[in-house]
Amino acid sequence: MEFEFLADGSAKKVVVEEKNGRFKVRHGDREFEADARRISDNELVLVIDGRSYDVLIARDKERKILFVNGREYVFRAPGEESGRSWTDDHKGPGGGLKIKAPMPGKVIKVLVAEGEAVRKNQTLIIVEAMKMENEIKASLEGSVKKVHVAAGELVDPERVLLELEAK
Amino acid sequence: MFKKILIANRGEIAVRVIRACREMGISPVAVYSEADRAGLHVALADEAVAIGPAPAAESYLDMDRIVKAVRDTGAEAVHPGYGFLAENADFARRLEKEGIVFIGPRSDALELVGDKVRARQTMEKAGIPVIPGMKSIPSDAAEYAKAAKSLGYPVIVKASAGGGGKGMRIVHAEADLGPALEAGRREAKSAFGDESVYLEKYLEEPRHVEFQVLADNEGRTVHLFERECSIQRRHQKIVEETPSPALDEALRRKMGETAKKAMRAAGYNNAGTVEFLLDKDRNFYFLEVNARLQVEHPVTELVTGVDLVRQQILAAASEPLALSQESLKQRGHAIECRIYAEDPAANFLPSPGRILLLREPKGPGVRLDSGIYSGWEVPIFYDPILAKLVVWAEDRELACRRMGAALNEYAVLGIHTTIGFLKDVICHPEYRAGRTNTAFIPKYFDGWAGEDKGEETMAVALAAAAIDDLALQARPRGVTRAKEEEAGPWQTLGRWRMGGAD
Repeated sequence: MEFEFLADGSAKKVVVEEKNGRFKVRHGDREFEADARRISDNELVLVIDGRSYDVLIARDKERKILFVNGREYVFRAPGEESGRSWTDDHKGPGGGLKIKAPMPGKVIKVLVAEGEAVRKNQTLIIVEAMKMENEIKASLEGSVKKVHVAAGELVDPERVLLELEAK
Repeated sequence: MFKKILIANRGEIAVRVIRACREMGISPVAVYSEADRAGLHVALADEAVAIGPAPAAESYLDMDRIVKAVRDTGAEAVHPGYGFLAENADFARRLEKEGIVFIGPRSDALELVGDKVRARQTMEKAGIPVIPGMKSIPSDAAEYAKAAKSLGYPVIVKASAGGGGKGMRIVHAEADLGPALEAGRREAKSAFGDESVYLEKYLEEPRHVEFQVLADNEGRTVHLFERECSIQRRHQKIVEETPSPALDEALRRKMGETAKKAMRAAGYNNAGTVEFLLDKDRNFYFLEVNARLQVEHPVTELVTGVDLVRQQILAAASEPLALSQESLKQRGHAIECRIYAEDPAANFLPSPGRILLLREPKGPGVRLDSGIYSGWEVPIFYDPILAKLVVWAEDRELACRRMGAALNEYAVLGIHTTIGFLKDVICHPEYRAGRTNTAFIPKYFDGWAGEDKGEETMAVALAAAAIDDLALQARPRGVTRAKEEEAGPWQTLGRWRMGGAD
């Protein structure tokens, strides 16, 4: 069976076939056989060519997070928004740019008003989380199309804080 | 000795104090905000008192509510942990008036050392070297500009009431001074409830070396050697160790005696820390007194064998100090790594959220002071510290290896943490050589984008993810159905069948 996962925004394919409790794995030009033991709902131990891999698995709605011998891998379902999308600005219709909150937090200060011209890297909004202030800066030169939040509001990462329009 | 102590804090430090209480036969009382009802410290205490809504100002910083919790539970003493009210002289005074013991210094000593400007004056008078800086808090903004000019840029904005990097800003040119002062004041106000800030000359690339001091109520004072805390991001320590690779016996003795002198000059009692900056020419300057138990206290505990929280409680109960300077020795080497809910690949942006899965490291010489568990939702309201991983070994190199191995075992899945970043810090050749200073992270780790994943392990991870999918699909129907209620695509059948190969 072929499986596809998104890791760091790029699609990764792997083919796994089960045969007598062992798994034949193909990824790119690599092929190997894995002996897998499920220790709990969240832990697998794989033995591949005599090498042992302890794998922890956590899942939520969008992600499957694997911890393999000290390294963390975040996989998403294909078609889902790629990981860390909230750290980027999103181009909306009409060339507008939606600035989203970088993390859950509280809006401390809105430094710009609708219609105001902004320079690139100008601080637009200050969001505080965990007692640290984080400045949200303009990623382009242009003007403020719309402000969606006010000081004192709690925001989620998906929340659009304001929209910019390129010059 | 006290029968009951209320711990006016949360997270890993509340858990640490609860443990000390248990060992001493004292009943620990936890307090919690609405965001912390499911907190580990609540689960581990004997009693737990709700003290208000999530924002710290309405709960952990609300003296009335904490005093009421003390009254309602009949606790005799309050341990403030670090942060929140730990260095608030008004709180200490309030407790003194109410006949409740504050486990920390007397309010007058706390007030003196807590006011960074007055502390500097006192130290200067006692003949202790200090960093050039403003001698008082000016009322006029123009005074700051004048002071900055005479100190010479770069200068650093510091919160008068503060510590832990809160309110700090480095200013390289006059144009940046106004915004830096404003941001510093705001942060200071929200962290400490006091917006006073002052300016100090900013030394470039110094080491941060501090000395742990213990004093009883009669003034018997010892130091428990140094902690090297040069590895900092955002002026906040992230790796600490003892002994410091920068000190030899003579300098250690000199700095230790200076630390004791500083505490005596301040009339200080209980546990406290004297922070110094050590420049390239091995000159040291008094920086400030941290009038509390430090986050990094465990490294001192591991090399001296002294339980500092127990000593704090004994001193607060007016027991005479049983330790003599001669009896204290450093044995082996200890390193602490702070595990924060932050994304080191995105400028250490806070990363609150649910911990989906936690696996903690174990083994000889490994200590974990932790305030989290699998399923815990890290709130947005408080300091992002989750836990402290501390190791002890016979020497520094062995301690580094032990730390590397322990970090490698440590899985906190679901949120971003500093674990991967810390692995790279511990493995860095400059760190391994002991050549650390406060510019270490900006210098060597600017733009750090994450651990090297390795293609080989990626193939294994993909295989494991696919095998996990197969296993979830193969579950008995009833189980799958029940799980599907709350499940996303991971538990639903068929989502991953791409090629129609079955």
